[in-house]
Amino acid sequence: MTFRQRHLALPVVVAIVAGCIAPLAVLVAFSFYEVEDFDLIPAFSFRAWGDLATSTTDWFLIGKAVLSGVATTVFTALLGFPVALALTRLAASAKGLAIIVLLTPLYTGEIVRIYAWRIVLGGEGLVNTLLLALGLIDEPLKFLLFSPFTIGLVLTYNNLPFMVLAIWVSAEMVDRRLIEAARDLGARPVDAFFRVIFPLTTPGLAAGSLTVFALSAGEMLTPSLLGGTSGATAMALVDNLFGTAFDWPLASALALALLATLFLVASAMAGLLLRLKGARAVIGRA
Amino acid sequence: MGRIGLSVLIVAAGFLYLPLVVLAVFSFNDSALMAFPLSGFTLQWYRELAQNDNFLSGFATSFLIAQPVGILAMLFGLMASLALTAPGFRWRGLFAILLLTPFLVPKSVLSIAQAMIMSRVGFERGATALILAQSLVALPFATALISAVMVRFDRRLIEAARDLGASPWQAFLRVLLPQIRPALSGAYSVGVILSLADLTIAMFLAGRTQPLSLMVASEFRRELRPDLNAMQVVVLALTALLVGLSEVYRRRRLRRLAAEA
Repeated sequence: MTFRQRHLALPVVVAIVAGCIAPLAVLVAFSFYEVEDFDLIPAFSFRAWGDLATSTTDWFLIGKAVLSGVATTVFTALLGFPVALALTRLAASAKGLAIIVLLTPLYTGEIVRIYAWRIVLGGEGLVNTLLLALGLIDEPLKFLLFSPFTIGLVLTYNNLPFMVLAIWVSAEMVDRRLIEAARDLGARPVDAFFRVIFPLTTPGLAAGSLTVFALSAGEMLTPSLLGGTSGATAMALVDNLFGTAFDWPLASALALALLATLFLVASAMAGLLLRLKGARAVIGRA
Repeated sequence: MGRIGLSVLIVAAGFLYLPLVVLAVFSFNDSALMAFPLSGFTLQWYRELAQNDNFLSGFATSFLIAQPVGILAMLFGLMASLALTAPGFRWRGLFAILLLTPFLVPKSVLSIAQAMIMSRVGFERGATALILAQSLVALPFATALISAVMVRFDRRLIEAARDLGASPWQAFLRVLLPQIRPALSGAYSVGVILSLADLTIAMFLAGRTQPLSLMVASEFRRELRPDLNAMQVVVLALTALLVGLSEVYRRRRLRRLAAEA
């Protein structure tokens, strides 16, 4: 067998299988193991899955992960659309700069962003000081930091660039003449958006939604460092079961249940978005 | 461009940069408390930073870990892109899905699973484990960057080179490589940047290694401190420098290619 270019896939496949598929397969195996005296014993026990099935906390936390993923997706989509559309109107020379401006916040470390938001939202932070100085409030707003509001805001902040980028790429491919034609035929700008631009950008919206959902639903750092008492996440519980409690079977089962739920929701979301009329038109054409 | 569009962009940029600007402002503020009003300009926090050996070694660790991550992401991304664009590759769809898995599985789930398998087979957690795991997470990004350029590449150029007697290796080095070099440097930077930005993977796999992000995370649980701000600004500035350099390099390549054409 002579060497062909496609054979270069082999080392990549080996790396992904060893680093990604094998660990996930091991999770499946461990979820059926038993723990005795802090030792993991191969077995075929449904103890962990039974514990998981009857635990309301676990399912509540999985539901919370789905909710935070969906909410982040919706928020970033609502904010991302106007930004992406405004970007398409930039002069070609400004677009290169716009990409850098958009992506640079992503390059800052996870911890940098979390740290920065604490300074912005704290009791003596920028927002509270500003509102106090303007006389809009009499005492610092407490809900800004360590609350579900903070988690939503920071997850939206972290993921907005991905959504903007995905919608932008899609919106750039919309033929400007279609919009002009709609306008010439008497469509108001709102109609032109909902009946021409939006349907034609649904593939970008779908790609952005999947990306944002995948990145935000499993996130554990932002909630645990900025969420205060509402910061509990399924992944933090998995971490706890794995490290402190040494209940690897339950940790594995919970992680797998989370992964499977997220996968189902993501597939449903993709299916829903791609069933929209415009997406069919775009994909059918390609 | 309309006034509405422009204001949307200004508000968006304001939102994206607000936390970073506030961070930077307080790193120059002459007070240990991070509160308004500001108290005056100082470089004291940067001086303290420069004398803090812990930070310096954490910084060196992060930097040394980020380099191999960039190189591995670039090499594997290149191989993956070459395979994806290879003629007659029957498993292309399956391969593409496989390439996406490290991106689609949440980093936290992946890292915990990797930590479990490592401790079972007796693979010590530490710098090596961290480098491998971070490279894997960077791989989908690197592959996307490189293959985006490669799909636009005209394969007939390679065929022409081969017809004129070039070996496959020569054709790669002298025809394809010059075209995709900017994408390769982009893939390398993405690997480096993702590695510097990571905390989640480090939490599970760093072992006794202490990269900067872990150090900050443990300090930060206790209190906010201006010297931490100063450090974040330094890291930010270095990352921005990296992004800027690779962009300048990319533009220069493009200009030279345009001039040659």
